[in-house]
Amino acid sequence: MAFFADTEALYRILGGFFETLTTAEEGQLIHRVGGPVLFLYHRPEGRLLWSPLPPPGQRPAFRVAYGDDAAGEPPLLTFEQDADTAHRFWLGEIDLAQALARQQLRAIGPLSRAMKLLPHLDSVYPRYAAWVAGGGPA
Amino acid sequence: MRVRASVLADYGLLQEEELELDGPGPGEVAVRLSAAGVCHSDYHVFSGDLPLPTPMVLGHEGAGVVAAVGAGVATVRPGDPVVLSWLPSCGRCRFCLSGRPELCRVPATAAQHGTLPGGRTPFRRGVTREPVYQFSLTGAFAEVTVVPESGVVRLPPGTDLEVAALLGCSVLTGTGAVWRTAAVRPGESVAVFGSGGIGLNVLQGAQLVSAYPRIAIDVSQRRLAAAIEFGATHTVRADQDSVLDRILELTGGLGVDAAFEAIGRPETIAAAFNATCAGGRAVVIGVAPPNAEVGLNAFAFPSQEKTLTGCWYGQSSPARDIPALLRLHNAGSLRLRPLLSQRYGLGELERAFEAMLDGSVNRALIVFDP
Ligand SMILES: [Zn+2]
Ligand SMILES: [Zn+2]
Repeated sequence: MAFFADTEALYRILGGFFETLTTAEEGQLIHRVGGPVLFLYHRPEGRLLWSPLPPPGQRPAFRVAYGDDAAGEPPLLTFEQDADTAHRFWLGEIDLAQALARQQLRAIGPLSRAMKLLPHLDSVYPRYAAWVAGGGPA
Repeated sequence: MRVRASVLADYGLLQEEELELDGPGPGEVAVRLSAAGVCHSDYHVFSGDLPLPTPMVLGHEGAGVVAAVGAGVATVRPGDPVVLSWLPSCGRCRFCLSGRPELCRVPATAAQHGTLPGGRTPFRRGVTREPVYQFSLTGAFAEVTVVPESGVVRLPPGTDLEVAALLGCSVLTGTGAVWRTAAVRPGESVAVFGSGGIGLNVLQGAQLVSAYPRIAIDVSQRRLAAAIEFGATHTVRADQDSVLDRILELTGGLGVDAAFEAIGRPETIAAAFNATCAGGRAVVIGVAPPNAEVGLNAFAFPSQEKTLTGCWYGQSSPARDIPALLRLHNAGSLRLRPLLSQRYGLGELERAFEAMLDGSVNRALIVFDP
């Protein structure tokens, strides 16, 4: 049974969580990535885009675009995965190297840019777990 | 203690720095490096193709002398000459117990984090004592490094440490791919895509087991000349000739029994697979970016029983295989000296990368002032 019942739930819960990151300390890391990051989801289908809002230091650090609205801007990095894999990733339960090797996660673009984010996600995972436990946006 | 090291501050940015090095903890060994080979994997981290945390001390193909040992270390003592192994296996997991220590998850996980198996890194820098990560549990581009006890292999006294350094990666990997992964038999045909540090050792490994023909493929005339020196019987300029046509011509239209990919690019991985005969095997040694994907003909797998496999660290057991390689070298069978074409100082790593990329060196070596 998929964690996200439908696209609406995916956008509300995961999209909503991304919205909280736009004003969080870690959100500033988008500027080190250096361009838009697109997430393509399957089962349910969905598409979320992080679009950086310069200059660095300003909050929100990026805008979250949903669905067709996320298709307008060419991404620097694209991550394609099942929505369930994404859910487990943000819980901190996915070994990135293994997920890439098994094609559970496809990454297109300069992966080294994403490495700027990874070491900082340890503090984000528990917040996602709490967000999910709290049922998403209030 | 304070040590000089070449630090990858960010992708594409190297700087020579003085770092603080913690002494060896229990089960760890401090090694003063004499020489360290420059490998394509180091370059892949430098360029960001192999994304690992920064700042990081690169270098994983090194030899030196034990400077100090931590509590409980039994196999080496200060003063022993050693070569570093970048895959210090645990000896207890199911991969280690089934004779595949190169697949041990303990060093694999630590390498991904740029640390020692316990999660700590021995290097720090600046007033903040910020941790500096360590490439593949080694960090050989530093005057002294700290590694797990299973990350060193003791050498006989008097061993030439410049030659020994190469045993820690390129020689072990190249020969192991032929002897263990592909298990090439006398009279079998081989093709080697890429005649850099690994490819040359694939060729001399194939020559030692009397494979024939031994076809070297590269885009550099200089590297193909080296390939002949190291045992190639035929060469193909990939930028001028049709590689597949030439290989088919040289093998009576069948393709080779074993093809080795020592570059790490999806196109050459596919080319190696396509160049094998029915029942043949293609071995990928080159390290592609972790998100790269390869397109292959699906029907060729069942209808031609082709094998596509990979080789990590020569499918080796360093404590067993490095001394054997050294004996082959001492007996005159394995040519290691001619692999060393150019020496560089610690601050010249970028120049060494350039020389490696343009094919002007077989193996660049970083040497340390005494
Ligand atoms: Zn190497
Ligand atoms: Zn193990």
